[in-house]
Parts: sequence; C-alpha cells; structure tokens
Amino acid sequence: MSIKVDVKLDCKGLACPMPIVKTKKAMNDVESGQILEVQATDKGSIADLKAWSESVGHQYIGTKEHDGVLLHYIRKSGDDHEAEKKFEQTITNEEVIDRASNGGIILDVREEAEYAFGHIEGSRSIPMGELENRLDELDKDQEIYVICRTGTRSDLAAQKLAEKGFTKVVNVLPGMSSWNDDLTKKI
Amino acid sequence: MSNKVAIIASNGGLFDAYKVFNIATAAAATEKEVAIFFTFEGLNLIHKQGMQQLPMPEGREHFAEGFAKANVPSIPELVEMAQDMGVKFIGCQMTMDVMGLTKEDFIDGIEVGGAVTFLEFAKDAAPTLTF
Repeated sequence: MSIKVDVKLDCKGLACPMPIVKTKKAMNDVESGQILEVQATDKGSIADLKAWSESVGHQYIGTKEHDGVLLHYIRKSGDDHEAEKKFEQTITNEEVIDRASNGGIILDVREEAEYAFGHIEGSRSIPMGELENRLDELDKDQEIYVICRTGTRSDLAAQKLAEKGFTKVVNVLPGMSSWNDDLTKKI
Repeated sequence: MSNKVAIIASNGGLFDAYKVFNIATAAAATEKEVAIFFTFEGLNLIHKQGMQQLPMPEGREHFAEGFAKANVPSIPELVEMAQDMGVKFIGCQMTMDVMGLTKEDFIDGIEVGGAVTFLEFAKDAAPTLTF
C-alpha cells in the first residue's frame, strides 16, 4: 500500500553522499511534524538515513522496498518533546489493552507513516491533523484511548475531542515510543 | 558532543579526493562544522586545473567505469557542494611556498593559513581525520 506523505524526494540512481546531502536540503521545505519520503536506490542509504536522522534529531520511521526502490520515511522533529500535557484523564501504556477491550477503542493520532510501521493491533488511525474533519467516524459515547508517540499530540487530540463533546476520552502515556508489546505493521 | 569535524587532506589522487569530500559533505549535511586542511599533495584537490583530472592509483584505472556506473558525482561537483554547505577549505601556506603556488592557483573561497590555523579549529573537533 502507498503511504501518505507531505513531501517526496527523488534520490534514485544517486550514490553516497548525495542522498544525505539532498535529504538535508529537502528538509528545509518540510514543516515540523510533517513526513518526508526519500526515494533511493543506494543500499547504503538505509543505514545512512537512519544515522543521519538520529544525529540531526529527526524521527526515522522506517524503510520499505517497492519495485527495487527504497522508500525511507522521516518525520521532521517537532516541538512535541517538552510541551506540557494538559489533559487530565490519563492511563499508562500497560493499562490500555485491558481497558480498551471492554468496548473502548484505541485511537492512534500519529501520522499515517508512523502508524504503518508499527501500531497496536486493533487500534484506529486518524492523524492529528485530520481529526477535526473526521469526528463523525467516532462515537461520542464510546471510550476513546488516544495515543501518539510521546503523549503530546494525543494530549492535544484528547482536548480537541473533549471540546467537541466526546465524554469518555483518555490520553495514553507515555505513548508508542515506550511500547514494549507486539506491534502490527501495515506497509 | 563536538559539533566539528576536522580533516587533513595530504594526498592528491582521485581516491583520496573522494574520501575527503564524501566525508566532508556528509558531515556538513549532518549539521557539523567542517574544515579541511590541504597540505602537500592534498593541494591538488583544490587546484583549479589539477582537480579536474586527478589520477587514479596505478593499475586501478579500470575503476573509472565503476565510478561512471555508480553515478558518483565528479570531484568539482562535490567541491562545489561542500562549499555551498559551508565547509571551510584551508590551504597550507608553507606547502604553497615550496611548490611556488599562490592563492590564485586555487578555487575561489579558500583560506590560506599555517598549521596553527588548522590546529585552532581542530582543538575541539571530534573526529579529526587524515587522508
């Protein structure tokens, strides 16, 4: 399946260090929190882009291969590391599976690419940026356990849902970055 | 963690040039501050004419085909890219004097300095690499 991204960069046929150099330049046009897809044929780019992302501070999401082309997904680092979390109803990663199995749902508000490379089985994906327009997909009386990577986007999403009249909303902390159980992929 | 990478380029062949400029551009793309000190034969790598036709090591001429096939950028292209990304080039004054070269023999935008110029930059760099 194809994964929704914000910006695509063609590095096909280019040798090291070009994929890194071009990715660095392309990132200037990507906004915080958005997803960049780097298309490359240089096999070294798998390790290089991962190391580059970690070094520069962006979130390396994953790589998949399609018709002999490597597709790398990187999320530009945002301001979601230190923001104060305001939504009061929270539960921990460990509790969420049990709680959600009694008729609730786990709502994953990360970007589609992040969800594709690893999510809790049975969770629903609605990226934070699309939430407002997709509220009709959710049930106001159902328990909704909102999760993201570090708890910041889910905090905002939970506030948004409560504001729109959803009554049983809970933020899951610390989020997928600390998830130790099984993950499902959809790539 | 140091945010500087210091490189000494002291050899003048094509392979040497790729080692130097690939590491330099990759480091610059990773938001490092990079300086290269060109000394002795390393000065070839930024010499206006010399850099256009750097020699392959003897007996390795057949690699030319591999370079073309792998679509590796040319050395002048890598040099331009490195300069665009702010890599600092320092030519060694002493070697230039020995070889009878002046700043005009080299590409634009280089600095000329002595060993201390480089050492001052490299004192808090990690890694410092020699090629």
